[in-house]
Amino acid sequence: MALPAVAIYSFLYLYPAISNLLYSTQRWDGVTKAQFVGLHNFKYLATSDDLFHKIVANNFRFSFVVVILQTLFSLMFAIFLLKNTKANIFLRTLFFFPTILSSVSVGLIWTFLYNPNFGFINASLKAIGLHKLALNWLSDGRYSLYSIAIAQIWFHTGQMIVIYLAGLQQIPAELYEAADVDGATRWQQFRNITWPMALPTTAVVVAYTTIQTFRAFDLVYAMTQGGPMNSSDLIVTSIYNMAFGAYKFGYASAESVVLVVVVLVITWIQRRTLRVDYGSK
Amino acid sequence: MFYNVSRRVLLAIFAIAVIVPSSIVVLGTFKKDIEIYTKPLAFPKHWSLTNFYNLIHQGNVFVPFKNSLIVAFFSVFFTLLIASMAAFAISRMITVTGKVLFLLFSLGLAIPGQVNIIPIYLLFVKLHLTNSLIGLILVNIAITLPISIFILTTFFRDLPKEMFEVAGIDGAGLFRTYRSIALPLSRPAMGATGIFLFVICWNDLLYPLMLITQSDKKTLPLTLIDFRGEYATSYSMLFTAIMVASVPMVLMYIFMQKSFVAGLTAGAVKG
Amino acid sequence: MKNKGMQISAFRLGAIAVMAIGLASASLTSVSADSTPTFGTKCTTEGASTGTSTNSLICQKGDSGALKWARVRISSNRQTPVPALHANAGTIEFHHWRAEDKAVFADIISKFEAANPGTHIVQVIESSNDYTNLAFSQIKGNPKSAIFVTSRGGQFTQFYNGGLLRDLSNERFVKSNVISSALTPGTVDGKVYGVPYQSLFNDPIYNADMFAKNGWSVPKNWTSLLAFCKTVKAAGIIPFAWPAATRGNAGQIMNSFLMNSAPDLATLTSRIAAIDTGKADLTQPWFVDIATKYQQMNAAGCFPSNVTGYNDTVAPADFASGKAAIYPTGTFGMSTVTNLNPAMKGKMKIMSLITVDTKPLYEGITNNTFILHVNAKSSSRDQNIARAFLSFLTTADIAQQYAVGTSQHVSIVNVDYSANIDLLNTSDIMGKKLLLAPRFLFNNVTTVRNPLEDALIAIGGGADITKTLTDTSKTIKQGLGA
Repeated sequence: MALPAVAIYSFLYLYPAISNLLYSTQRWDGVTKAQFVGLHNFKYLATSDDLFHKIVANNFRFSFVVVILQTLFSLMFAIFLLKNTKANIFLRTLFFFPTILSSVSVGLIWTFLYNPNFGFINASLKAIGLHKLALNWLSDGRYSLYSIAIAQIWFHTGQMIVIYLAGLQQIPAELYEAADVDGATRWQQFRNITWPMALPTTAVVVAYTTIQTFRAFDLVYAMTQGGPMNSSDLIVTSIYNMAFGAYKFGYASAESVVLVVVVLVITWIQRRTLRVDYGSK
Repeated sequence: MFYNVSRRVLLAIFAIAVIVPSSIVVLGTFKKDIEIYTKPLAFPKHWSLTNFYNLIHQGNVFVPFKNSLIVAFFSVFFTLLIASMAAFAISRMITVTGKVLFLLFSLGLAIPGQVNIIPIYLLFVKLHLTNSLIGLILVNIAITLPISIFILTTFFRDLPKEMFEVAGIDGAGLFRTYRSIALPLSRPAMGATGIFLFVICWNDLLYPLMLITQSDKKTLPLTLIDFRGEYATSYSMLFTAIMVASVPMVLMYIFMQKSFVAGLTAGAVKG
Repeated sequence: MKNKGMQISAFRLGAIAVMAIGLASASLTSVSADSTPTFGTKCTTEGASTGTSTNSLICQKGDSGALKWARVRISSNRQTPVPALHANAGTIEFHHWRAEDKAVFADIISKFEAANPGTHIVQVIESSNDYTNLAFSQIKGNPKSAIFVTSRGGQFTQFYNGGLLRDLSNERFVKSNVISSALTPGTVDGKVYGVPYQSLFNDPIYNADMFAKNGWSVPKNWTSLLAFCKTVKAAGIIPFAWPAATRGNAGQIMNSFLMNSAPDLATLTSRIAAIDTGKADLTQPWFVDIATKYQQMNAAGCFPSNVTGYNDTVAPADFASGKAAIYPTGTFGMSTVTNLNPAMKGKMKIMSLITVDTKPLYEGITNNTFILHVNAKSSSRDQNIARAFLSFLTTADIAQQYAVGTSQHVSIVNVDYSANIDLLNTSDIMGKKLLLAPRFLFNNVTTVRNPLEDALIAIGGGADITKTLTDTSKTIKQGLGA
């Protein structure tokens, strides 16, 4: 009964993943005959491609910033909105809204907001006199990556809030009541009750967010296409450019393999640290 | 108290951060470009439907809309069908095979589907599946199988055993049990998962970007990107297009909110 | 490469021939055209022409030395133009990247479909960046795209090598309807594989009205250019609305910097080829010289403040609203400007961007990024439809409709530009010594040209020259070696 699933999955997901390994040992432009080059592509990636190193570093920085901020914000807002008041329910609905938009829409909307001349952000900053803060959000190499990170956080925080709410609502109210009786402050309650009991949820949020950041092709493509000067390029956009811009399919496959390894390693590390247990009761 | 004040302030900030861009887009669909640039938040001087008119006449949104609908619908339908069968089977298996299969699909959770773009592209070129909606549907199914199976397996495992023991006594086979008992019971989970998958397929950019080049097969996200013109972007048209592209999502969100939210966060937290 | 050599050396003939062929002009006594050109009357813009027909007029110096409208002889083609071919029924796709021309093409297509019932042409338009990157793989896999365009240079070569271009050398409409010297960009080894349709000029457009009101004159060399910027800036106007934030448009001025950077064309070509293949890097003295000039322009205030954030939505808007004096992209940008502010119609003229103080080798840049081809891999039925549509496009009234409607000069004979004041006002550049845009001599766009242009943009925005060029050279070297 599981056969159709296994069949499609193997053919269109596992088999291609493995083909990546095969292609990564070749040099191929898609038109002429492919050349077998062994591990040359990997060696080159590791030693002679500074741009790729920069891009990997970009991706790490991006993921780091997004994971930390998105987790913190969603936890914080979930705590704020824990009670089922009308206002809270309205706000939860509102905050969740960005999640349903397509990433292309989000990217294009934020490109407009970030426009240095008439975009809403800079126009407002200039209107209140903060000209110095009216930066070139997307066209300055120092900020482009972080500007996209902000858009990403805006995009998905609502989703994580809901996940946290589900987790927080399972914490028995008696624990808090008892703590109140004992005279514990809010902060102490958070540190000793909320945080530890929400740890499994945190693990899920962190894992989910991390995967999202390695997949953020759409946002980058819609907002900066990796520029300026590759300052906002991620591994996945580099793969795309290598294959469909520079016609180096073998090299791009090698980069894909690197991406898989990186993601697997990070996932493994997270599971170890946060002790996530998929699929067991 | 400090907590109350900061709570309100922070909530207000995020609320503004969501409302402002959304209003700019919504109001922008009724404005001219120059108005959007100079007074983005103001109500339009004249509420004009020219943008919608232009979009329908020149932008040809019907075809991409139709394509997105077809791809999303069939992807979801078949994924749910195949995934529920597999999930049920796995949840019933006590042997090692079950664990192995489950682990196999979980691998797909960790690895982003985007690492496969090149092999899929090359494979589809050979199979003549580029520029075909069927190709897109197949890719979507393959990519969303892992998470669907994960969610549904968890769900089936959570169902109390007694429900199935009745069928077992009657000597019904696995498929029969699936069809008459498990499937009806799983409606909420299937609904939520279905919506979740629909959103993913509707909003996908990368695979259509790579595989679809013929204009009559393009999906909505591709068409949105096209609105970024060569020498200047007309934001009024762009915002209008974004509105049109988001309509199904917004409608589903309003009318099926509980399932929607459950779906998009499904499987994330277990009891 | 042989064909590149042919394209460039033959283009000198082309420039002269284009001028000889169709230069007629209006009797322009002011920049806005109220009067129509008539033979013998006074005119103001030397070299301006009314079109490419035997009745066209050119504004040139008479015996007395005054500028008058004179008749021009078409010297290079003596054949009479042929009518369009008939198309069989069917549907094909027309792939191009000019979203701005969509409406005009739609009208032309409906005329074609009316003349050929049962035939349908579907426009497939992509942004020019996407078209550059994706068109080859897309069209290769799509035989329905029977008529499509390529851009001169790397893209044309790619399609040619991929066997996608049908040989059009023996088509009567190619021999009789197209200005023969304009065929160069589409010719390989003497055979015609594509019809370059519109000629565009990648030279800065300036607001002639504003110049006249302020008493400014177009700078004729490098030193006066820098002085010019200071003057304009002091008047509170942005001298050059350079869209540095959008690489595609920011790179246009690079053409003008390159055209006079070498003692002769052969040297320029070999220098570019050396960088393109990795034999030389960006620290070559001649390239550093160009980079230094970008820095000097920035220092002289030629660019708006914060130029690296200045993108191609704001630049034409500022030019159209009178905040900037010059919009340095090309004739292809004129329609955007008039769309933003219809009052700009008739006020725009084209100038040469001379970046040296010595006598310039070239006075302007021209290019053809719209070479029409028939897909050699389409079915023969579809190829015939494509040939018929192509022949339709080469008929004078259709070409004229396109030229006037989209404000672009075309390479077809018997076209009259008088109906479009902006085309008229900028046609004088056709009489100058022009170079086919050297930017498109770079074949490795993703690996070499993009980082190179990014480097110049950064330097124009104030980045350190040595560091930027060294770093970028390294990136290019590694990219080429992968």
